[in-house]
Amino acid sequence: MKILVVEDEYEMLQSIEASLLAENYLVEKATNYNSALEKVLLYNYDCILLDITLPGGSGLKLLEEMKKNDMSGNTIIISAKNSIDDKVMGLELGADDYLTKPFHLAELHARIKAVLRRKEFDGKDLLRIGNVSINHKNRQFFIDEKEIELNRKEFDIMVFFTANLNRLIDKETLAEHVWGDHIDSADNFDFIYAQVKNLRKKLRESNASIELQSIYGVGYKMVEKDL
Amino acid sequence: MKIKLSSYLSFRLLGVMLTVLFIWSAVYFFVQMREIHAGIDEGLENLKQEFIRKAGTNPNFIEDMEKYRPLNIIVKEVDFYDAKDEAERYITTKVYFETEVEEEEVRMLESYFFCSLNGKYYSLKIFTSTVESDDLIKNMLYTLIALWLGLAIVLMIWGRIYINKATKPFYSVLDYLEKFQLGKSGEIDMPETSIKEFAQLNKTVKKMLRSSTEIYNEQKNFVENAAHELQTPLAITISRLELLMNEPGTTDIQIKEIHKILQTLNRMKRLNANLLLLTKISNRQYWKTDSVDLTALFEQVLGDFSDFAEHKNIHLSIVRKATITVEMNSDLAYILATNLIKNAVIHNINGGRLDMVFTENTIVMSNSGLNKPLSDKMFSRYKTGEDKMDSSGLGLSIVQSIVELYNFSISYSYQENLHTFTLRL
Repeated sequence: MKILVVEDEYEMLQSIEASLLAENYLVEKATNYNSALEKVLLYNYDCILLDITLPGGSGLKLLEEMKKNDMSGNTIIISAKNSIDDKVMGLELGADDYLTKPFHLAELHARIKAVLRRKEFDGKDLLRIGNVSINHKNRQFFIDEKEIELNRKEFDIMVFFTANLNRLIDKETLAEHVWGDHIDSADNFDFIYAQVKNLRKKLRESNASIELQSIYGVGYKMVEKDL
Repeated sequence: MKIKLSSYLSFRLLGVMLTVLFIWSAVYFFVQMREIHAGIDEGLENLKQEFIRKAGTNPNFIEDMEKYRPLNIIVKEVDFYDAKDEAERYITTKVYFETEVEEEEVRMLESYFFCSLNGKYYSLKIFTSTVESDDLIKNMLYTLIALWLGLAIVLMIWGRIYINKATKPFYSVLDYLEKFQLGKSGEIDMPETSIKEFAQLNKTVKKMLRSSTEIYNEQKNFVENAAHELQTPLAITISRLELLMNEPGTTDIQIKEIHKILQTLNRMKRLNANLLLLTKISNRQYWKTDSVDLTALFEQVLGDFSDFAEHKNIHLSIVRKATITVEMNSDLAYILATNLIKNAVIHNINGGRLDMVFTENTIVMSNSGLNKPLSDKMFSRYKTGEDKMDSSGLGLSIVQSIVELYNFSISYSYQENLHTFTLRL
């Protein structure tokens, strides 16, 4: 999988790159409009992470160019501007998703995987990890080919963790992903523990080859069990 | 009671004019009377001289006088002693006239003379009609009252028209200042004035408001820029820490510590986002409006929070008496609903309740929570409940900004352990 990261902030670019490399993606970088345009026109990428404010031109302009050349690049806009207009325009110009900075890397991975999945398998994919499989389109979850009933939130949590296998997800990141942006009060995340507890129970009862580890009250990590 | 400037000026002016007129009338009356009497007295004196001359040359004059008795001359013989010390005097008195069947005011000269022909002393009274001072006073009073009334009417009308016209620039400035809202009102447009003070007032007010607006805008832009510029470093720091947290070999203690830093950064991120939102609302950057079904929106947002509500065993009740549709920006509508409902759910107690009532033009939300009313400063920035360290404290001020933007109103009350927010649309 080849991913192009278009980002003018070097430090930001670095950390995104490091995170993507850890997932074994091939990463190409562009730090300004012209080099990004050149790369986009010359090579094929499975996914493009695109900042809007770039030296030399706007990311939206790049999208326009791509659209003109009939290229679909599986683009995710990453922008510090939480502007609805930009979001709408970006999506209209063919971007697949819009992520506002600052974001969690786990969230970025989930979005990238969702975009790749949609394009690559036309949504008919079946993700397999050990004896566990997920049909994203039909929102079904199987262990040993046997369907396990999950409620809406449980399924979302499961997908988020499978997109971030072996990565520690703190509870704030999880809450934000599943319950949306407005969960800003660290009030108490007891209800998250309750949901995760249910999931763990279901995984354990069906002898799943994955498990959700609780990490020191910080969050959870999905790992494959040594069978 | 406060009185209008034009009325005040007219009344004052009228008062002064009436006093002056009154004094002038009195003076005029006395001067006029004296002038009249002086003229009459001169005539009486001439008559007397003629009379005495005739009495001294015509031996029958006195007898004739007594015989014919002219109406305006009374002659009486007196003792020498009576006449000797008496001085001549003019008086104003009343005499009965049979023809008029009433007493008439007359001017009378009382004098004494010695008739050399018969060596006798006489008293002499000569009188003539004069101006009736009563009538004069009455007439003067009537004309004066007429003048007063006329003046009063003219002054009132004049006051209304001319003073109002002259003070129009003043009132337009006053009106403008009354309606002025920093950052919302446009440039002041004041009518031209030929009055120096008002022109100066206009100039000063314009200058003052312009500099206030400039400072206000600068500050707003500063907040927006600062918040915006902070996004990137925040994003970098958060992602770097997240990478570090997943680095192999990181110890438990390090992970916990990194998590704590991340939590703080998350708080900062939200604070920043809310600040940006606030400035964007007040900068009117959310100008696109749609027809928004608030009833459906509130119910949808309530659904988003159902996990929290269920977890806290909050009893929800919704009474829908009407479906509320308003013209507003749909994103702001969502933010409004989210902040209000989040407030009611997050700050609720275990086993508490949340009641929502939708009527034609109000949304009333009552929820249980702290057993005391919220501070009356809850709509201002950075006033949070004492026990909530993690909320940005901007939620209700965001609500307030949105409410103000669309000229809605929101009020708060606390009764029987229920916090009630009433949103009027």
